[in-house]
Amino acid sequence: MARKIGVVGDKDSVMPFKMLGFDVFFASDAREARRYVDRLAKEEYGIIYLTEPLAEQIPDTVKRYDDVIEPAVILIPNHKGSLNIGKKRIQENVEKAVGQNIL
Amino acid sequence: MNKGKIVSVSGPLVTAEGMEEANIQDICRVGNLGLIGEIIEMRGNIASIQVYEETSMVGPGEPVESTGEALSVELAPGLISQMFDGIQRPLDKFLEQVESNFLNRGVAVEPLDRTKQWTFVPTAEVGARVTTGDVIGTVQETPVVLHKIMVPAGIEGTVKKLEQGAFNITETVAVIETEEGDKELTMTQKWPVRRGRPTARKLNPTAPLVTGQRVIDTLFPVAKGGSAAVPGPFGAGKTVVQHQIAKYADVDIVVYVGCGERGNEMTDVINEFPELIDPNTGESIMARTILIANTSNMPVAAREASIYTGITLAEYFRDMGYSVAIMADSTSRWAEALREMSGRLEEMPGDEGYPAYLGSRIAEFYERAGKVIALGNEGREGSITAIGAVSPPGGDTSEPVTQNTMRVAKVFWGLDSSLAQKRHFPSINWLESYSLYQNEMTAYIGKELDTDWTNMVIRSMALLQDEAELQEIVQLVGAESLSERDRLKLAVSRMIREDYLQQNAFDDVDTYTSIQKQFEMLTTILSFEDEANHGMELGAYFDEIMEGTIEVRDRIARGKYIHEDQIEEFKTIRETVKETIHQIVERGGMEENA
Repeated sequence: MARKIGVVGDKDSVMPFKMLGFDVFFASDAREARRYVDRLAKEEYGIIYLTEPLAEQIPDTVKRYDDVIEPAVILIPNHKGSLNIGKKRIQENVEKAVGQNIL
Repeated sequence: MNKGKIVSVSGPLVTAEGMEEANIQDICRVGNLGLIGEIIEMRGNIASIQVYEETSMVGPGEPVESTGEALSVELAPGLISQMFDGIQRPLDKFLEQVESNFLNRGVAVEPLDRTKQWTFVPTAEVGARVTTGDVIGTVQETPVVLHKIMVPAGIEGTVKKLEQGAFNITETVAVIETEEGDKELTMTQKWPVRRGRPTARKLNPTAPLVTGQRVIDTLFPVAKGGSAAVPGPFGAGKTVVQHQIAKYADVDIVVYVGCGERGNEMTDVINEFPELIDPNTGESIMARTILIANTSNMPVAAREASIYTGITLAEYFRDMGYSVAIMADSTSRWAEALREMSGRLEEMPGDEGYPAYLGSRIAEFYERAGKVIALGNEGREGSITAIGAVSPPGGDTSEPVTQNTMRVAKVFWGLDSSLAQKRHFPSINWLESYSLYQNEMTAYIGKELDTDWTNMVIRSMALLQDEAELQEIVQLVGAESLSERDRLKLAVSRMIREDYLQQNAFDDVDTYTSIQKQFEMLTTILSFEDEANHGMELGAYFDEIMEGTIEVRDRIARGKYIHEDQIEEFKTIRETVKETIHQIVERGGMEENA
């Protein structure tokens, strides 16, 4: 079951992913980001990397994919540094799954 | 005829000896009080008689006299708007005669007013050949019922004399010359209740009985000439469903048999019905209703007869070419009356003590319903729709009365106590109920409305079915885990349940919904689903749609209170839905596609 990986974020942050062969999409505001994430979800991308500053602006969209298996929306820091939302989400999920924060 | 002598008395069952000349099903006068009874078993010269009145203080040795006639009803003008007991004694006359609110014993009351003058208008001509069932004249009995005076069964010949003017029901209005001599006809006919009145031909029901109740008309329609059963536990609303149908069904005559239920329910009927206006004729609905009351404190044996009395009256009006609906509330009490008699007769009991012939008796009743061509040259088409309530103890529909009823009734409106507890009325369970007329009836309505009504109904049913499945998932893992499409399904089926199926019998507007309005309401709800789906395809989120449409969904929910003559309003609601969702999509950033 091969799935594509997409990266959504501001140009400076996500450009390098192109080297790895991921599909890269540039979004500069919330509206664009939302459109890309929804579109990628529809096009059956398996993993969507989304930069944290954009994710912060479109919480509804991120939440929408929380409970579905595909795609996995994974938050990544951008070139300005991490906002720690991504890490927090992982910790929350672990806590939900195991019942305790073991990280 | 020789008089018999009572041997034993056991509740409503009296055995008498010296009855060799009597026949089974003869009506007898029992005891010194002259109670009315019917012979239900003969062994040699011993007759078992079921007595239609209370038998206390009746003892062995008292006389029994057979009248030599079967239990019959009198059929003539004056039936409509009357309230009879199980053996066709008018209760208001009874009250006058005995000056008591309860049934006194041994009272003989004429079933119909003998003195009232009716204006008889002849329709046949002198010299014309007439046979059984031909109409010789008419009487305008109430503003909506034209009572047709028919030639009684077994008479054939030429009309020799035909009167015109005001007569009472015992005066001769016509003379017919037959092979056996001249026969004088009055406006009265007698017919034994246990025999169905003959018809020329039975037809397949084609048209739906429109009741104005959305869940019935849309999902589980009953045909004119069909039969339906309403089983339900206590408090689930059987009686209200029956009353609603009696009030709003588009039939010409309603016969309401209150059989073994609370007296107050009949009081409700008497209090409410005269005030209600029939939406089809504009007259009081009492002008088309006949009531037969055998409430729970009235004698058991008469309860057994009340159902037959009711259906015989219905058949009489059917023969005139009317569509008749007969409501029996409840057939369980009637079956219990059968059981009581059977037990006293020491017959071998069947399931749960009911007699072994319970099934055939129930079938006998429902089989007298149907759409027919009546006897007579005209070929009048009439129908009887039988709707019987069943009260299964504990709501358990696997008991014999319900099972036997399901076997013969083609429509099953299963009332559900859990729905009733949630205040969802009428509490007809949409998953359990069924109608075997559904295909024909929805196709008929669709043709009438010139739309694909069948498809709409099937779609609503499918939605409700899907909802039940999704609800199970939701209960296990929560609504969050559903896809947005499924969540929309849940929302729309909830709209169908709450805004469409739920109907308030006590609201002036909501109590009756015409087919046209039902169509508009259902279209509006289904179009909401279409629009929302479309919006989601264009990128709007489910939550956004639900949030943005709160106001317009509220308008859909209040659609049931929109007056019948303002149904164009639904069109504007549909447009608003479209617009609102359009705006939501725009806000969601998909303007170039929308």
